[in-house]
Amino acid sequence: MKGIGGKLYLLVLLLVIVLPFIVVAGVSIGASKTIAFPPSEFSGRWYHMLFSEPEWLKAMGLSLLIALTAAIIAVSLALVVNYTLWRLNTRFTRLTFALGLGPFMLPPIILALGASLFWAEVGWYGRIEATIISHGIFLVTLPLVIVARGFASLTDDVVEAATIMGATQWKLFTTIVLPLITPYLLTGFVLVAILSFNEYLIANMISGFIVETLPIKIFNNVRYGYSPVVASASMFFVTITVTALLLVARSTDLLALLGAPKDS
Amino acid sequence: MVSTGRVAVSLFVPRLLGIFAFAILCVLFVSPLGFMVVVSFYKADPMAFYQETFTWENYQRYFSSFYLNVTLRTLWSTALSAVIVVVLAFTAMLAIVELSRRWQLFWIILLLSMMCLSEVIVGFSWLILLSESAGIPRLLGALGLWDNPRSLSPSFGAMMIGLVTLGFSVVSLVLYPQVAGRDKSVEEAARTLGTPPYLVPLYVTLPIFMQTLIALTLTMFVYLLGVFVMPVMLGRPKDWTMTVMISDKALGDGNLPLGAALAVVMLIITAVLLIVSLAFSRKRTAA
Repeated sequence: MKGIGGKLYLLVLLLVIVLPFIVVAGVSIGASKTIAFPPSEFSGRWYHMLFSEPEWLKAMGLSLLIALTAAIIAVSLALVVNYTLWRLNTRFTRLTFALGLGPFMLPPIILALGASLFWAEVGWYGRIEATIISHGIFLVTLPLVIVARGFASLTDDVVEAATIMGATQWKLFTTIVLPLITPYLLTGFVLVAILSFNEYLIANMISGFIVETLPIKIFNNVRYGYSPVVASASMFFVTITVTALLLVARSTDLLALLGAPKDS
Repeated sequence: MVSTGRVAVSLFVPRLLGIFAFAILCVLFVSPLGFMVVVSFYKADPMAFYQETFTWENYQRYFSSFYLNVTLRTLWSTALSAVIVVVLAFTAMLAIVELSRRWQLFWIILLLSMMCLSEVIVGFSWLILLSESAGIPRLLGALGLWDNPRSLSPSFGAMMIGLVTLGFSVVSLVLYPQVAGRDKSVEEAARTLGTPPYLVPLYVTLPIFMQTLIALTLTMFVYLLGVFVMPVMLGRPKDWTMTVMISDKALGDGNLPLGAALAVVMLIITAVLLIVSLAFSRKRTAA
């Protein structure tokens, strides 16, 4: 797909992807109380409402708390699984790694219902800790795969040299392994945090009726009659998500991280 | 002897960590699924979550015509959206990898943002775009192209758009390294041998990627099977999928055993598809 035809096709796709967000952005800065586009008068009242009303602030705070703690859990687990796989490379560690790929191979509703039943049985149904832990476990797949790329970049001769020089395993880990895989850990952390921040279904089924995160609040608003404040909340989401990804792109070679061949 | 002693000591910590990680995944990922299977055999109880007595009732109810119908239409709409997603993503990637590295990065960040963005937000934005007061119908009405503009959602088409938007970014990102790193010499050869350039993607590139694309379609099918927000926000009640039924049974009606039974059926469908998909990728690596 070279030349004009391909570029034109991409332009159409780009338009289809971006257009809904342009309209939502327009609605979010309109003054009218009903959803209308193009806006006849401009106003920042919906953003003001979003950042001043306690119920919206609370939802944002909960979402951020869940996202950051879940990301710590997911990245730590991904590190442990990859480290043991790298050190031992036994059938057992390979099985653990495969198990970690599982959550991304199942429809989310199955994970959500399973977790909801599980936490009800444990007695944590409706608690924020349950949402955090389940997000951390179910989103582990992404950092698992990314950190694996980091370990793959560790060459044997560096490790061998360090061992011959008398480095202990702990020293080897802190001085060689950790610095090399830190960019991968950070990328995994940011991606899990973003995904958790945006996740609706699992959070809703585990504790949605008590822990109302931002996506849950938006969804409930949309389902039962809504005002343009939902549009401003959506734009807030888009801004956070894109900014975080741009930061990742600035600090790492995103294309190579995704597995593209390097330009030489 | 000393050296084996040291090796044993140095492997103790990784082994302990390995068992720890395995145990965590078993307790928090595998056991909830197992428990769900158990609950699907419990008796429904409107007063509590369920009664712990064994029954086939939930599966008998599933095989009544209503839920079977829901399953069939779910399979249809999910399969259709999965195929559209893969076709769009593959053609888009063929075009994207021809762009400069800068523009490739632009697209990758765009696609990553789309992948990460909540389905709630994506669904909402399409809801607005298809609405009477703010979107395409209003524009067409203002241009005089549509006499009596009405909202385009909820409808089957709107639900399809929502599902395709969700899947498109994921499949594109998976395809990116494979399409970018493909061996172009075969296409080059086909052109030199006289294949018209516009037919090369169809006759040469597509067959090379066929097995990857089939495996991806199956994976996408499994992913879209579990999407909840799009059918509810953009589809009509008669378009609602199994996922909506599961959630409605579990949260709305408080009938957890029936919801669990529906989820187990979905789990079986998923397992079958994953095995087929695995067989495909096996064949690919063997070839």
